[in-house]
Amino acid sequence: MLAEHKLKLLQDLVRSSTKEELVWMNGFLAGVLMNCHDQSALAPTSSAAVASAPATVPAPGAAAVESKPAVSKITIAYGTETGNSKKLATDLAAKAKKSGIQAKVVSLDQYRLNDLAKEEYFFTIISTQGEGEPPATAKKFYDHIHQNGFKLPQIKFGVLALGDTSYPLFCKAGEDVDQQLQRLGGQRLVNLIKCDTDYQGDADGWFSQVLHSLTNTTSSNGTASVGAVVAKKPAGKKVYTGNIITNVNLNDRGSNKATHHIEIVADELDYQPGDSIGIVPENAPAVVDSIIALTRIDGKKSVAFRNETHTVIELLKKKVNIAYLPERVVKQYAAIVKQDIPETKISLLDLLKIYPVSNASQFEEVIGILEPITPRLYSISSSPNAHSGEVHVTVARDNFKVNGEVKHGLCSNFLADLPTDSPLEFYVHKNNQFRLPAEDKDVIMIGPGTGIAPFRSFVAERDAAGASGRNWLFFGDQHFTSDFLYQTEIQNWIQTGVLTKVNVAFSRDQKSKIYVQHKMLENAKAFYEWLQNGAYVYICGAKEPMSVDVENTVLQIIERFGSKTSAQAIEYLNQLKEEGRFLKDVY
Amino acid sequence: MSTNDNKNLSSTEKIKMTSDGLRGTLKESLRDEITGAIREDDTALVKFHGMYQQDDRDRREERSAKKLEWLYSYMLRLRLPGGFMTAEQYIGLHNIAGDHSTGVIKITTRQTIQLHGILKSHVKPTIQAFNTILLDSISACGDVNRNVVCAAHPKFSPIHEEIFSYAGKISKMGLPKSRGYYEIWLDEKPLLDKKEKEEVEKDPLYQDRYLPRKFKVGIAIPPNNDVDVFTNDLGLIAIIENDKLIGFNIAAGGGLGATHGNAATYPRLASMLGFVRGEENTLKAVLEVITIQRDHGNRSDRKLSRLKYTIDKMGVEAFKEELEKRCGFKLEEPKPYSFTSRKDDYGWHKNHEGKWFYTVFIESGRIADEKVALKTALLEVAKTGKANFRFTSNQGLILSDIAQKDKKAVEQILTDFGIIAHTDNAGAVRKNAIACVAFNTCSLALAEAQRYLPSLITKIEPILAKYGLENEEISMRMTGCPNGCGRPYAAEIGFIGTAYGRYNLHLGGDREGFRLNKKYKENIDEPAILKELDELFEKYSKNRNSGETFGDFAVREKLVTI
Repeated sequence: MLAEHKLKLLQDLVRSSTKEELVWMNGFLAGVLMNCHDQSALAPTSSAAVASAPATVPAPGAAAVESKPAVSKITIAYGTETGNSKKLATDLAAKAKKSGIQAKVVSLDQYRLNDLAKEEYFFTIISTQGEGEPPATAKKFYDHIHQNGFKLPQIKFGVLALGDTSYPLFCKAGEDVDQQLQRLGGQRLVNLIKCDTDYQGDADGWFSQVLHSLTNTTSSNGTASVGAVVAKKPAGKKVYTGNIITNVNLNDRGSNKATHHIEIVADELDYQPGDSIGIVPENAPAVVDSIIALTRIDGKKSVAFRNETHTVIELLKKKVNIAYLPERVVKQYAAIVKQDIPETKISLLDLLKIYPVSNASQFEEVIGILEPITPRLYSISSSPNAHSGEVHVTVARDNFKVNGEVKHGLCSNFLADLPTDSPLEFYVHKNNQFRLPAEDKDVIMIGPGTGIAPFRSFVAERDAAGASGRNWLFFGDQHFTSDFLYQTEIQNWIQTGVLTKVNVAFSRDQKSKIYVQHKMLENAKAFYEWLQNGAYVYICGAKEPMSVDVENTVLQIIERFGSKTSAQAIEYLNQLKEEGRFLKDVY
Repeated sequence: MSTNDNKNLSSTEKIKMTSDGLRGTLKESLRDEITGAIREDDTALVKFHGMYQQDDRDRREERSAKKLEWLYSYMLRLRLPGGFMTAEQYIGLHNIAGDHSTGVIKITTRQTIQLHGILKSHVKPTIQAFNTILLDSISACGDVNRNVVCAAHPKFSPIHEEIFSYAGKISKMGLPKSRGYYEIWLDEKPLLDKKEKEEVEKDPLYQDRYLPRKFKVGIAIPPNNDVDVFTNDLGLIAIIENDKLIGFNIAAGGGLGATHGNAATYPRLASMLGFVRGEENTLKAVLEVITIQRDHGNRSDRKLSRLKYTIDKMGVEAFKEELEKRCGFKLEEPKPYSFTSRKDDYGWHKNHEGKWFYTVFIESGRIADEKVALKTALLEVAKTGKANFRFTSNQGLILSDIAQKDKKAVEQILTDFGIIAHTDNAGAVRKNAIACVAFNTCSLALAEAQRYLPSLITKIEPILAKYGLENEEISMRMTGCPNGCGRPYAAEIGFIGTAYGRYNLHLGGDREGFRLNKKYKENIDEPAILKELDELFEKYSKNRNSGETFGDFAVREKLVTI
């Protein structure tokens, strides 16, 4: 059925491919076919091709309605960081229910691993963090399925992966789960779909496939394959080029911290309070110069990198990660320079100093193995209404020690050092799980340190909108005199009444440490009254230990002032979470 | 009773009257977590508790850019009648300064000490810590009888101890009856019973408005006038006959504050009223001078409310008559006395009992480890427990009451830390200079004082040397504003700040404290100051009479008209 030249191409391709590659292609083609909602999206076909096309390819969306369910019970497990996976899991469950399928929705951290052996239909919706890791809540599950010594031959599965194409290891955790479940003997019902941050459309497509597979189980047999489909290129992600108009360290002299308030103007900004911006940091020019000097490569030479061509300088400055190379890159480096290098995270410059390349052309080879710079997300601290045409971020210069030497985080350092009037590229990262409630609802915001950022946005927005709900802010940091971020703004908001209450905790101003949760306890009665009155609680800042301590404190408050047992308090809090009244943006 | 009515009361008067015994809303102010400041009305009341709210004026602009409020802090001043402190108390003070303030212990021109840079959250712990060593800050500032100063050096009279005790007695007599200080800072249980509270806090002296303005009492023991007795609202000069204290010459109406551009304000020395015999009458006379000021002082314009204006308004004779009427006895004619000096006598001295005293040179009264490790050295001395600490009105310190057998140990410490050399090597002008705090904390400052005068003197010393005047103990005093905390109007050379880097140059004060100076040049900067002084010192070195002080020379030469 193939034209001769196509057949030849295919045969050449098949001959030159490994078994794994063939398996991948098999999956890829299955994915292409399943994914094509519209036949016209494919190349025009001959009538013969149509005739031999699998009769089972559904018109997605119609499937659930037309078919009777062949399956009555499924499990939908989610691993979430921001709540997106959870939301999708709930959506899928609702759709399944409409099709007469009973769906159990469970968070992977709540999932009993022993139950895996009993699962028949098991769907996973999982996001990927920074460097390709699963979310913390899915870590236990992820590690478990990567162990040897057991099989899951009974399991029929499907994985929906959430991620961000701005990151080099896009949807890595989802890919891993998909592959592992198959390796353990599972049967893939639907192919992996990898969603970008605007996931809704792709997720809906995957839902349709899942429901179709459940209502046509027999026909889906044998279509299982390895592989994945990138649902969409990140073409929809608008990249802004802004201009820095303010960059000021909010911490006073003598502080242990440096938290920069950065104001950026840009045209046609579109964001909401709660969103973040993503920024790809540039490497420090001094480091790039050292690398070029050390390797004697011609900085102006154009080299290819991942389908793009750039000069070496441009690549090193703006494209590739040279700050801390992950172990997998170090391993490849060792192979190129043919030296034994211990598995460790190390900067490219240090690597070049300790294990030098033999010449410039070897370094070109090294460039090929480097990974793109990962974008960093920063919560927006401005309000579209109050700070029209601007986006503000609150960036803590990240200091850490490596072998006793103080180092700065790449992106925070890059941003903190940006002078005013310099251009900056960024994109808006939506966070629909962290939104202000209706204007008449009360809001409790708990945001120590840079956790204050979205709340500055919230309060400014509510101020500009004249929202009638009450606003209560908890802020904390090390020292009152040097670390009270946005102090004068907060004072003004108290004076004008936008902020109803503010409580602050400065941990190092006295012998015993005082944190935001202590301030919540001091005001526990009012806190509970606000909850009873329908208040929405928002937490932003360090996941550990802050958000954990804060959540435990909320439970304590509910227990004490709601006269509840600890189990009842947990239930009360779960209810809040279900109602979307207890929201976290933690990192 | 009062010639002053309630019309046009100043805002401070209203705050005092409605303050519920100086409590105001201080408790609420302390609870406010989001500011280091206290409420505006409370800033007037906190003075009565010994504090000023200040901020680091050097940092205002930078902090505003950082969206941080001004760097507010509190200056806390102790009530230390006669300037006396035990070694144990000094150790406590040293530790409190380190725990809660900038660490610098500042000796004031009124014989007490003050700490700067105390954050709001540290104020209560500071006052509580002082309380454990039996020190308080009640009435150290505010419209009340302030710290009572007394001639510092016990060597001047065998009956110093008896005279010194008057400082404590007068201070106690002038304490407000309110329990507010104890409730707010020391967590004393509030008096809930209204009647009981009224009884306990009934204040016949201060009533509900306190005084119209600050009130200063000084006690001098001739022949030394280290307290600058005539600069006080009320000056007592001890009269000793046959080695017995028989009473005091009493002078009233001194005060140095003035306002640039306000001709109605002026510095004034106290007018001699007469002699009072015996303790009972002395204390009665002191009390009644205060009550006259309470009843007749100006309560609408705080710039015109010191006793000096009240006396000039009434006339000295009328004032004296009113005082005699209130006392129920007549004042005698003032007894003869003489002052020959106003300075601190540095170095070792022995008193009539054979006890030793060492007067330390402390530039601008700042005890810190800077040019020499003064603060550490003094702590070491205190730790021996062999010396008491007496602060002087010249911002000095006398390590005192040291037994003969202990002298060596103290001397060893002072030698080891270079304190003796530092004292011996300081030039005559530097040793006798006084500077107020001014920038960066004083809200009134127009120009620098204690941060600047030492370096200015470094530039003046070569000029003095050029004319062979380096050993002349010319009194030189600098303040950052015209309010007179450093008593610049009573100096031979006074610098009074007008704007940043600019000063009025005053000449013609005497060396004993009987005569105020007058303005010689207006609003001049450092090069002009140095040029003027060069010319003046040249003239002085050429044309002075034998033994003539620079101040007297300036008057005789009519450089200024006194």
